[in-house]
Order: sequence, then structure tokens, then C-alpha cells
Amino acid sequence: MTSRTVFFNIVRFFFLIFFQVLILNHINLRSYINPYFYIYFILLLPFDTPKWILLIVSFILGLSVDIFTNTIGLNAAACVMMAFARPFVISAISSGPESLLGDTPSLRNQGVKWFLYYSVILIFIQHFTFFFLEIFRFSEFIATLVRVLLSSAFTLLLVLISEYLIYPRGK
Amino acid sequence: MRNLFLFFREHYFYFLFLLLETFSLILLFNYNEFQGSSLYAVSNSVSGSVNSMFNGISEYFSLRKTNRVLIEEMAKLHSRIPEAFYITDRNVFYKKDSVVNLEYKYISAKVISNSTNKRNNFLMINKGSVHGIQNHMGVIIGNKIVGQVVSVSPHFSWIMSMLNKDSRISGKFKKNNQLVNVEWNGGSYRTGQVKEIPKHIVMVKGDTIITSGNSDIFPEGLMIGTISGFKNAQDENFNNGEILFSTDFNSLGYIEVVVDMMRKEKEELKASFKPQQ
Repeated sequence: MTSRTVFFNIVRFFFLIFFQVLILNHINLRSYINPYFYIYFILLLPFDTPKWILLIVSFILGLSVDIFTNTIGLNAAACVMMAFARPFVISAISSGPESLLGDTPSLRNQGVKWFLYYSVILIFIQHFTFFFLEIFRFSEFIATLVRVLLSSAFTLLLVLISEYLIYPRGK
Repeated sequence: MRNLFLFFREHYFYFLFLLLETFSLILLFNYNEFQGSSLYAVSNSVSGSVNSMFNGISEYFSLRKTNRVLIEEMAKLHSRIPEAFYITDRNVFYKKDSVVNLEYKYISAKVISNSTNKRNNFLMINKGSVHGIQNHMGVIIGNKIVGQVVSVSPHFSWIMSMLNKDSRISGKFKKNNQLVNVEWNGGSYRTGQVKEIPKHIVMVKGDTIITSGNSDIFPEGLMIGTISGFKNAQDENFNNGEILFSTDFNSLGYIEVVVDMMRKEKEELKASFKPQQ
């Protein structure tokens, strides 16, 4: 991990938090779609990030967003859950060392299929934890599940758009 | 001892995960008890200043509408003046100055952050304990309900909107004073649920639900909404209905916080009664 990577990750950290807090949290599509795009940061952490940094940085990321939405602990819990799952998801979907090409996970390096599996699973884990902790009851199970699925799909869409914008094909 | 140390070192990832996750959950579930604590105050003032900065930019886009809302609010305030007084038997208070009997005072404030798209929605306003706002005060717009204050810092207050799983407002039918509860199950921010309607009540669409005044939060007679649909449950003791909120929660500009001047007296009265054993 070079100091350049560290610098880009720090910039991305603050950019995504402010993008989430100032823009995405104000999007109003009934109460069913709340994209949590800031978790793109966790998706893009380099492969060789030490695991303890992964957990702690995710916790701080979640807590920072929590401070702006006054839901102390909610985003943090969901992000820590997602960070915990990340190494397992990576080893489960990677067939060989060649699929871990490059510094960070990306659509360009790992291919569409790998990246889709990777982001769909992790985004779903984060959103599932988030929405069920938020409501904290099972009586609205179906409504909450619909909320999880729609919001995950929307977040995934934003992730894919950013992937194509930042890493154009054929480079 | 060395083995134990090695064991921790080998599995530190799991332990760190458990530690952080537990810590997050403790924060989350003690959330309400943290009100007034330093953590909460810091979080409130940080998000408050960022929100008011963002609001300062975005309010330029709605100046025209804000002007209209202000004029409407002023008209409403003028028309409310007689209602702010405690109405009681004239024989007792015949010669007293009516100002002594002021029951409700209203503090106006500006909404600086608001949401209607979450399952649990909150608002932040630009006034706090310095201006006399305290926990559990009701929040209204015109003669319509908005929510209640759940946390106060010196210059900002955090308000639980009606659109929240923990919101439960005691209402009644305007036509016959039958008590019901109003809640919100998520989904559209225009409609909520009316629970515990006694079976013998004959409802029609358009029946008005107003606040009952039983909860010490809202004065009696504020608009909650009108019945927009209902179903007669066969095997339960109560019917449930759907209510169309009078308040447009998505366009709250200036709201008012209700200060119940006689709250302390009411609470002392309740506390002074001790059932005989």
C-alpha cells in the first residue's frame, strides 16, 4: 500500500461522507429507498488492508455518518458487520490469485462477474443489518425486506455508475 | 498464559469484530439515555452547524415560498390569541388578570433538517434550551401536529416527527370525542394508521381526528387528519383505519413549539396522589 493509495482513501472517506450527508440523505423516494452509497469506501479499500484497520476504519466511517443523522451506533453497527464479512466474501468468490489483480477491488481488474458478486453480497449485508436494526421488530418483516432490497439495488446502481465513470473500459 | 495470548492473536479479527459490534449496539440501544450527555451534545452541535450551513445555502431556493408561509403563520398567530388562554369558570377567576391564566405559550423556530423518507424520521430546529425549549414539548405547525421534542442542546432541538415508529398520538373523533391512537407504519408520509377504534363507532370517510389533550404534549383540538379508509375487523375488539394527515411533513418551514405553562402543576398534582394501601 503506497502513500498515494492512503491519500486517495482519506480523500474518498471525507468525500463520501459529505456526499451521503448533504445530498443522498435528502433524496426523497417515499420511505422505501434510502441509498447508503458511502459504504462504497469499504468496498474500495485495498486488498492488503490489515484486517484490524478494516474494522476500525469502517466503525469510524459509520459513526461519522451517524453523527449527522443522530442515529448513534446504527450505521456503525451495519458497517462493522459489512467489514467483518468482506474478507470472507473475497476468499469465497475468488477462484485463484489472478482474480486479486491490482491494488483495490474494481470492475476493471476483477471483471464484471466478480465485482457484481462482491458488491451485491456486501451491500446487502450492510443494508439488511441497517434496516432491521433501525426498525428492531419483526412485525413489519416484509415491508423492511422490501426496503432492504430496493435500497440495496439503488446503492448498487450508484456503485456501478461510479465504477464506469472512474475506471472507463479499455484503458 | 502464552497459549491464551497466542489464541487471542490468532483470532483477534473475531474479537475485534465482537468488541466493535457490541460497542455500536450499546451506543444504539442506549441512544435515548444518552440525551443530555456530552456525546449527544457534541453530536448535536456538530450536525447542527453543518445542517444550518447547508440550510443557509438551500433556503435561497425557496424564499418565495417561505414568505408565503410566514404570512400564513402570522395570520394564524393573530387568530389564535384568544385560544391561548385557559378557559375556565368565570365565577372563580372573575376579577383576575387573564395573563395569569395563560396555559400555552408558543415558540416559533425554523426547521433546519427534516426527513420523510426514513422509517424513523426526525427534524432539527434552530432553537434550543437557551430559548426555553425542553424535552417532551409538542411541536405544531399552524393548528396541525408535527411531533415532539426528544433532545435539546443549547441552540438546537431534535424533534421526533409523527413519522416515526415510536410516535403514538392520542387523538379523538371530533364528532363524538371517542378516543383513538394514531401511529405511522412507514410507507407514504401522507397517511398513517388509526388504532383502537371501538367497534360500535360508525365511521365515514372524512371524519376528522383531533388531538385529545390527554397526553400533556399537545393542547386539545389540534388537527391530526381525516379518515381516508377503514376496515371492520371481524375477530378483533377494535377496528383500524387509515388517516390522511393534515400536516404536509415534506414542506415544514417554520414550526412552533408548545410550552405548557401548567405542566409542572399537572405533574405535581399527579405525583401528590398516593393510593391508600
